[in-house]
This record gives sequence, C-alpha cells and structure tokens, in this order.
Amino acid sequence: MSVPNDDSVSPQNQLSSHFFADLLDSIIVDVASECHRIARLGLDRNLEEEEEELRLSAQARAKVADPSNSGETNSKYVVDIFGQTHPAVANEVFECMNCGRSIVAGRFAPHLEKCMGKGRKARLKVTRSSTAAQNRFSRSSPVSTYSPYSNSASTNRLSNGTAGHSGEEYSNGTLEEP
Amino acid sequence: MRNSVNRPPTPDAVEIQQKRPTLEEIINIKLIESGEKERLMELLRERLTECGWKDDMKSLCRALIQKKGRNNVTVDDLVHVITPEGRASIPDSIKAELLQRIRTFLLQAAV
Repeated sequence: MSVPNDDSVSPQNQLSSHFFADLLDSIIVDVASECHRIARLGLDRNLEEEEEELRLSAQARAKVADPSNSGETNSKYVVDIFGQTHPAVANEVFECMNCGRSIVAGRFAPHLEKCMGKGRKARLKVTRSSTAAQNRFSRSSPVSTYSPYSNSASTNRLSNGTAGHSGEEYSNGTLEEP
Repeated sequence: MRNSVNRPPTPDAVEIQQKRPTLEEIINIKLIESGEKERLMELLRERLTECGWKDDMKSLCRALIQKKGRNNVTVDDLVHVITPEGRASIPDSIKAELLQRIRTFLLQAAV
C-alpha cells in the first residue's frame, strides 16, 4: 500500500483509517445485502442460465475435440449446430423470375446462365431486354432499329411489350426457340 | 415523595462513562451532524462502482450463491466472503482520496 506518510501511526492518521474502514464496512454490508436480496427474490435471471451455458459449452467443446466426428470429409452427413443435415444439392423448387419455369434451387445458377447470359439461345432474349434498357437510358424513343437479330417482326413486339419496362419483365411471355 | 426529593446522586462509574466520550465518538458525531459522513459514503460508493470493485464483489457473491444454493445463503455468509477480499482490493488512489478528505475534515473540525 502506498500511503505517502512516514507517521502512519500518528493518531490523526489512525483516526482517518478508522473512519475509512468504517465507511468501507458499511458499503460492504450494503453490497452483500443487495446481492442477498437479488438471490432470494430470484431476480437474477442469469444465475441458472450461466450454469446451463457453461455445461453446454463444455459439451460442445468435447464434441469438437472428439476425433470420431470428421467434419470435412463426409459433408453429406455432418450435423450443423442446429442438428440439421444438408444434402449436397439443394432440394427446393421455385419459379425462375426471368422465364417463369420451375427450377430446382441447386440448378438455378446454371439455369440463369442460359436463361439470361451466355448461351446462343439466350442471346436472342437478351437482345430484347438490352435494347430496351439501352433505349431507356440513352434515348427516350422506345423503338430501336439497331439490333443484330431483330427484324420488323421483333421490332413490333418491342414497341408493344417492352417499351419503358426494365429488361427483366416480359409481359408477352417467353421467347423460347427450341 | 422523599425519594424524589432526596434522590441519591448518580453513581460515579456511570457518570464518568457518560462524561468522557472518546475522541472517535466525538468526531463521529461531528461527521454525521455536518453531513460529511453521508457525502463521504456517497463519494466512496461512486468511486468503487466506477472502478469495478462493486461488480467484482457481486460476482464473488454470485459464486457463493451458486455454490450454496440461492435459498440457503445468508447476508452474514456474503459479508464474510466479501470482507477480506473487499478490504484488500481497494485501489490505492481511492483509499488515498478518501483518507485525504477525512484528514481535512479532522483538521477543520479542530477538536
């Protein structure tokens, strides 16, 4: 303790220490009484929860350290923290917002590639949407004469269906060519 | 009636005790009457809460409560657990501050 006094046993210092100890004891009793009250009235919700958490985290640690669960290799059968297993390919089926077909979720990305992007057949669809988008952002006229694949037929379709729309929506259904 | 008129004087021993209160008691009374004791208590409480001492004591209590079971603990148990640790873990700066104030009070109380 670093009380900076050489006459630390002088009556004055003794007295001061005595009163300090007195104050401290009162505060200690206050704190103890407060904790006692909280314990008895069951106001401390965390009391039992902490124990549960300690137990569960010890349990989890034991499981992780356990060499019989190899998490990386058989990803099909590993169990996640909620106790669920997941198949390698997602199962859900839903509707593609581009073409409206039912697609398996696990095959959605390749489907979108064809539906929206890189395939030859997709290009024809893209023509309509990209020209519509170009028209919207560069010029205000909805009819475009500059498109590699379109003829007068598709130009008509353009002015009917997609003027002012974003390229994602097709009110006329899909342009599907087998 | 005779008794009330000729009441024997209060015995000496009691008189001495009552007439010579200790210095401590005198100062204690002065502390309380001036309100300084209350102020010092509040100051000490505030400092101890700020520095986390109170939380440390509370977690000591909680540990004892978990061990003993929350309906089996008495205030006495808790006080006995906290007191040694509490006295020892007071930060020096806080102790010095309070001692300084008490000393100042003693000086100006000029007993």
